[in-house]
Amino acid sequence: MRKKSKQKDLAFQESELAKLLTACGESADFLTFQLHENSPFFIAYFKPLVDPNIVHKDILTIIKQQEVSSLEEIKEKLPIEDLSLTDNVPDIQNKLMTGHLLFYQKEAQSACLAVPAPAVEKRQVSTPETEYVVTGAKEAFVESINTNLNLVRKRLPTPGLRTKELTIGKLSKTKVIVAYIDGVANPENVNTVIQRIQGIEYDAVSDSAVLSQMIADNKNSPFPQLINTELPNHVASVLSEGKVAIFTDGSPFVLTGPVSFFTFFSTAEDYVSIWNIASIFRLIRLFAIAFSILATSTYVAILTYHYEMIPQDVLSLLITSRGTIPFPPFLEAILLELAIELLREAGARLPTKIGQTIGIVGGIVLGTAAVQAGLTSNVLLIVVATGALASFTTPVYQVSNAIRLIRFPFLLFAQLLGLVGVAVGFAFLTAHLLKLTSLNHPFLEPIYPLRVQDFKDSIFRLPFSKQALRPIQIRAENPVRFQPETPPKNDWDIDD
Amino acid sequence: MLPLPPEKRQVSPFFVFYLITSAQIGMGILSLPRYIVKSAGQDAWIAIIITALSIHVILWMVYQILNKGTNDITVTHKELFGKWLGGLLSLALIVYLLLVAASTLRGYIEMIQVWIFPQLDTWYMALILSALVYVYVIGGFRVVVGICCLSFIFNFPLIVTLWFPLQDAQFSHLFPVFDHSAAEILSASKKMTLYFSGFETIFFFYPFIKNARSSQKWAQYGAAFTTFIYLAVTIISIMYFNKNQLIQTIWPTITLWKVVDFPFLERFEYLNLAIWLFNILPSTCLFIWAATRGIKQLFTVKQKHSLIVLLVIISVAAVLLKDREQIQQLNTMLSSVSFYVMYAYIPFVFFYQLIKSKVRKTL
Repeated sequence: MRKKSKQKDLAFQESELAKLLTACGESADFLTFQLHENSPFFIAYFKPLVDPNIVHKDILTIIKQQEVSSLEEIKEKLPIEDLSLTDNVPDIQNKLMTGHLLFYQKEAQSACLAVPAPAVEKRQVSTPETEYVVTGAKEAFVESINTNLNLVRKRLPTPGLRTKELTIGKLSKTKVIVAYIDGVANPENVNTVIQRIQGIEYDAVSDSAVLSQMIADNKNSPFPQLINTELPNHVASVLSEGKVAIFTDGSPFVLTGPVSFFTFFSTAEDYVSIWNIASIFRLIRLFAIAFSILATSTYVAILTYHYEMIPQDVLSLLITSRGTIPFPPFLEAILLELAIELLREAGARLPTKIGQTIGIVGGIVLGTAAVQAGLTSNVLLIVVATGALASFTTPVYQVSNAIRLIRFPFLLFAQLLGLVGVAVGFAFLTAHLLKLTSLNHPFLEPIYPLRVQDFKDSIFRLPFSKQALRPIQIRAENPVRFQPETPPKNDWDIDD
Repeated sequence: MLPLPPEKRQVSPFFVFYLITSAQIGMGILSLPRYIVKSAGQDAWIAIIITALSIHVILWMVYQILNKGTNDITVTHKELFGKWLGGLLSLALIVYLLLVAASTLRGYIEMIQVWIFPQLDTWYMALILSALVYVYVIGGFRVVVGICCLSFIFNFPLIVTLWFPLQDAQFSHLFPVFDHSAAEILSASKKMTLYFSGFETIFFFYPFIKNARSSQKWAQYGAAFTTFIYLAVTIISIMYFNKNQLIQTIWPTITLWKVVDFPFLERFEYLNLAIWLFNILPSTCLFIWAATRGIKQLFTVKQKHSLIVLLVIISVAAVLLKDREQIQQLNTMLSSVSFYVMYAYIPFVFFYQLIKSKVRKTL
């Protein structure tokens, strides 16, 4: 009898399962024990991954109270869904690593029972941090993918909302869910996204922003080609437009695409405001970005090379302001731009309260001191500060970063060739934007290729009654959002 | 012979409008009024209309030639004249386009040297412009069309600012009408051919247009728009300057912009000369793209390789043109070449093709 069990033991030790268990046993937080003395069953799990409440209340109490003789019997008796009996070792490994309890016998080639008891740690759904909205829904995504999906499904209660689950990263095994509305989204877009995600060869994908860089069309562009958002509202609205959303487990941001350059200027709030106000605000944002890129370089170009362009009245103002400055305009501008970047970086890295203090100290105290000391002119200070403010008007954080970067080459071009240099820089930027695509759709749409129909929700935001058709850029499978009412005949008269 | 480009490389027919206008309007418009006023006086606008009408007819011929062919002009040449003679003709056309591109590039550099930076080295500016052209052409035909299309928007301030000189314009300068002999007006028309050249690139980009046959309408509109701009600039110049002033001003159009006066900005021509980059860039890109495409058809050289070689050649050519006189010589030479290309070569190919197909039918 004893001999037999020893033989069994030996056979078991050579099995794949035993190797897995010994490998796991190297970690201090891995537990394995016999159910009770003389019981043929053993239990194994990672302590931090399982919820102790489930283990104690729902599993151990039930199993210990009753006599069990086989794994099937345990399976029947446990009041838990989704139990699986398997002898596939990679599968077992997966289950162990995702918070399952393992029941096994020390017998060769025997199956194991995996009982799910995952411990779920998650943050409560709270208000958005980066895309603040004054009016409109204030729920924001959290790190748990299930909660995020729940937030979106709640807003789109249709079975047409399809999800495809993918796992990426050899080590991180990150769960990624591609969501789209069947019959609305273009299957080609969905396939492009899925293929690109499947093509990722990387060990640990930690965030949606990382994923976004890996599946971007042009990986060297400073402009994001998929926009990430933390607003479930926004995701629901772009899904209904026919776009694709990509959820990444562990990230409170959801990627949406395909996007165009003009998506950078649209906020969730545009849809809450009246259309004419929203359209004006969009134009202001567009103007602000152009100003932010061009203002400092134009100032440098004009003051360095084309002072004839400055009218006499303005010239006297500039002379009093710049008369004692020892640096050329280029150096002065670079110094101030760098100072602003310093403030931004410091403000972003520090906790909110200290960040605010730093902002005030840096902005007001340093600025005033620099002007009084005669290091910079206050006109340039105004230009640089307005440019910095303007760069924050876009609701997409990555875009304001991109603009932050682009300004420096423009300054350099302005110093080299004056206004012609600014034009050359702009031509390079245009070339880049013309070549850029988002999920193989042109980026500068609807300006190029020119699609006047798409102006209704890109540069402007026209009233909802005009939005009967989905944007052409996305090439939605079903381009019609709703059948517009046929307008009444135009035969009205005053006081009729 | 290359296969026809796939659909994703093609563009919609209405883009031909932008292609034709941006190919035609280049450096010429800045000096145009002076040249034609020299011979036709206040009747210069009649000369423009005469040339423009002839251009519409030639454009129609170009479309007839291409519609009968199967691909671009190199293939048509080969079918009509055989491998060697046809190839030689295509090569001549390519060299012509390159010369126009070089002249445009050098013209812009010259203007920057005269108006903004007298000390600017030609090679330095040529290098920057070549880099720009490279960045665009390497992106393919769609990107070249893109810059043509966007330039159309960027150039808008140039047209709008013509409002300022118009306020001081003297309407009486236009009278008496028909004061010049037909010979004088025709000689002005002849001088203008170079200003309308550029639409020959259609010989090369024709297969890249979806439903290319239906694009003729847009090409004609494009040529008409060019005429409109030329007419506007010329008439405003005639009304603003007196005749002697106009003849002595090398670039009257720039002087017109000099009048623009905002409370925050004066001497608008500096800004407009910077924006002018978006006028010469699309046409240069289009010419160079057409040349690389033609070379690929003839010698099966990869476009990305020939592009670099052509840019080097053009930059060297630009540096070799040292002063105003040499640039003027090149332009005068190109002017007569483009006259023969338009009024001799294109009709010749058109009639030759027509007769050949008639003969084939009767046989």
